[in-house]
Amino acid sequence: MSTTTPLLELRNVHSYYGNIQALKGISLTVNEGEIVTLIGSNGAGKSTTLRTISGIIHPRSGEILLDNKRIDHIPPHDVVKLGVLQSPEGRRIFPRLSVRDNLEMGAFTRNDTAGIAEDMERVFDLFPRLRERANQKGGTLSGGEQQMLAIGRALMGRPRVLLLDEPSMGLAPVLVEQIFNIIKEINSQGTTVLLVEQNALMALEIAHRGYVLQTGQIVLADTAKALSENEMVQKAYLGVE
Amino acid sequence: MNPRIRAGLAGGIFGALITLISVDQVVYLAGMLAGTTAGMMVAYMEPQKKWLDGLRQGIQAGLLGGLFIVIAKLLRAILINPLIGDSTDLGGQFMLGLNGLVIATIISAIFAVIATLPRPQDLIGRYAMVAILTLIYPWIDQYFQYRFMGEVIPVLVFVLMALGLNIVVGYAGLLDLGYAAFFAIGAYATAMVASPHFGISLSFWLVIWIAAAVAAIFGVILGAPTLPLRGDYLAIVTLGFGEIVPIAATNLDTFSLSILGFKVIDNINLTGGPKGINPINRPYLPGIGAFQSSQPIPWYYLILIIMIFSIFFILRLRNSRLGRAWTAMREDELAAEAMGINIVKTKLLAFSMGATFSGFAGAFYGSYISAIFPESFRFEVSVMLLCMVILGGMGNIPGVILGGLLIQFADRLFLPQLSNMMQSIISSPQVQLPSSLSFLHELSFASDFRLLLFGITLVVMMLLRPEGLIPSERQRMELHADEEPVVEQQQTEVYTARNQETV
Repeated sequence: MSTTTPLLELRNVHSYYGNIQALKGISLTVNEGEIVTLIGSNGAGKSTTLRTISGIIHPRSGEILLDNKRIDHIPPHDVVKLGVLQSPEGRRIFPRLSVRDNLEMGAFTRNDTAGIAEDMERVFDLFPRLRERANQKGGTLSGGEQQMLAIGRALMGRPRVLLLDEPSMGLAPVLVEQIFNIIKEINSQGTTVLLVEQNALMALEIAHRGYVLQTGQIVLADTAKALSENEMVQKAYLGVE
Repeated sequence: MNPRIRAGLAGGIFGALITLISVDQVVYLAGMLAGTTAGMMVAYMEPQKKWLDGLRQGIQAGLLGGLFIVIAKLLRAILINPLIGDSTDLGGQFMLGLNGLVIATIISAIFAVIATLPRPQDLIGRYAMVAILTLIYPWIDQYFQYRFMGEVIPVLVFVLMALGLNIVVGYAGLLDLGYAAFFAIGAYATAMVASPHFGISLSFWLVIWIAAAVAAIFGVILGAPTLPLRGDYLAIVTLGFGEIVPIAATNLDTFSLSILGFKVIDNINLTGGPKGINPINRPYLPGIGAFQSSQPIPWYYLILIIMIFSIFFILRLRNSRLGRAWTAMREDELAAEAMGINIVKTKLLAFSMGATFSGFAGAFYGSYISAIFPESFRFEVSVMLLCMVILGGMGNIPGVILGGLLIQFADRLFLPQLSNMMQSIISSPQVQLPSSLSFLHELSFASDFRLLLFGITLVVMMLLRPEGLIPSERQRMELHADEEPVVEQQQTEVYTARNQETV
């Protein structure tokens, strides 16, 4: 898989919040068809990396390339149009819109009515719970259902790269397992996934490759299998003594 | 409580209040309004399938409402009329009251029967009924010599502005405390191109579009600095603009501009200063001629046409792609951005679309009053408009119209009439106020207490019905989520839930 050309590439990206440097030279690649995971503890810069890719914050230096074309410094709504969609941290569904309307918002940049309907069916097939609750307001869903909705909403934009920010956050273990199975399923249907997780164990289980982030820098990069066997990763993130 | 009694009570109290403070003939108008209120409410709270049930229900509610009018008429004849020298002929007054009752009952029954039609005929019927009443109003006014038209027209101007503000506040969720600024800009734009002030006299039919365009451009200009702001901070910046515009209008009577030492503009009178601009040209239509202030009917129909056009346009906007972007932005700005919505464009369009309707209103108002002063666009106007939107129901067009009508009519017709009546009572020779009760004299200037009454109304509303009189479904969900469990809803279930809640 490492022989394919990278779909998404970050080259020495530095990002700041005001004067505080959050990313100190991140370089990573995501190849077509892969699940790549970004693991690390609180404050390591995982979400900042996703925000920088989405264009919500712009890097002060470095390059972000999609298909070898630079996408840093273009506004977030244009990044979405290029097929980079994010399911943001904390889900951020639209609480007072119905499930169906939430999903339709995900397809905001698209005009192909038939394609949207088709993708809606696809999302409902992936998440039958959402079909059951299609007319219910988003805010009345349980945490797990809201996470499904957030992922489904991002899928409605027909992403080439799906950015998932902490999909396991605040969910019961059995639901986490379910969500991760679905992520795998989405990937097997052809969507490239960049997954940010604190739950390193689960993330490394489904990912092809992974990066370990510490205080804004990548300290380790390897295949998921190798990472989960790495002593330092085991100690720091997997709770293995 | 039985919905019929509730509806009858609401319509009746409404009608009785009007009857109590008004002269004889107004009882017909009171009957119309009481009947409309009772009929619409009863059909909404207790929908019927069969037209006969609807008829019965409408008649019951209408009769109850009409009863209040009769009682009010009698009370007035016994208690008030002797003091102010109006007719004390009990029989005649009773007959007038009965007339009001009959009208209330008929209209209530019509509304209730229309509501039993299948969708969408019931909606069409209801709107048609409201449209008929609205369209024939000037003739009623003229026939009974109410002379309310001079107040009705500015009321409609304010309702039009409330509809525009509703775009900004209700649809896009941007709290705007300085909306009157756009009203001022529309009016001043009109005054500058259609008055002897600069010697430019464009036709009103062109000017109204210019005013709207200028207001829209200022919407973008004033919206741009608020882009990074949210919530309270945004509100404070808009408050600032609301203050800047009238103050600028006051001071731009000696406007000079020099660039690099060259006087580009030397001391021109841009806005007329505190004296304003006067006179402003009137619209002209072949067949009618120039509109006159003594002839309110053409003005009335003109503002109605502008309103209908605006409502149609706003409805289309709400259901458009832009409308959906507003909804998403209102719900969660960051998530909206993640969905590919251009927040900058969406926000600026909300401000400029909202301002457009204020521009229409400003152009109309300027040429209707034929004079504008900076004083007419104070902060108070912005607050009043915001209250109209909130009272009626944010984000819902019928709600905003109703809220606007209620507040404006209370302010422009009800309170002045009330003070007139109270003053004539107190100054009548039969009434000798003991000095301990002299505060009643102060109290008789009810209009002076309008802001107090207005404040009390708002506090009560916010406590009892924070979502407004006719809320949009979404608002109701937000504020009463804990009271009504959400189920997969069908129309009937919603109705039953509503009945259980209200009974």
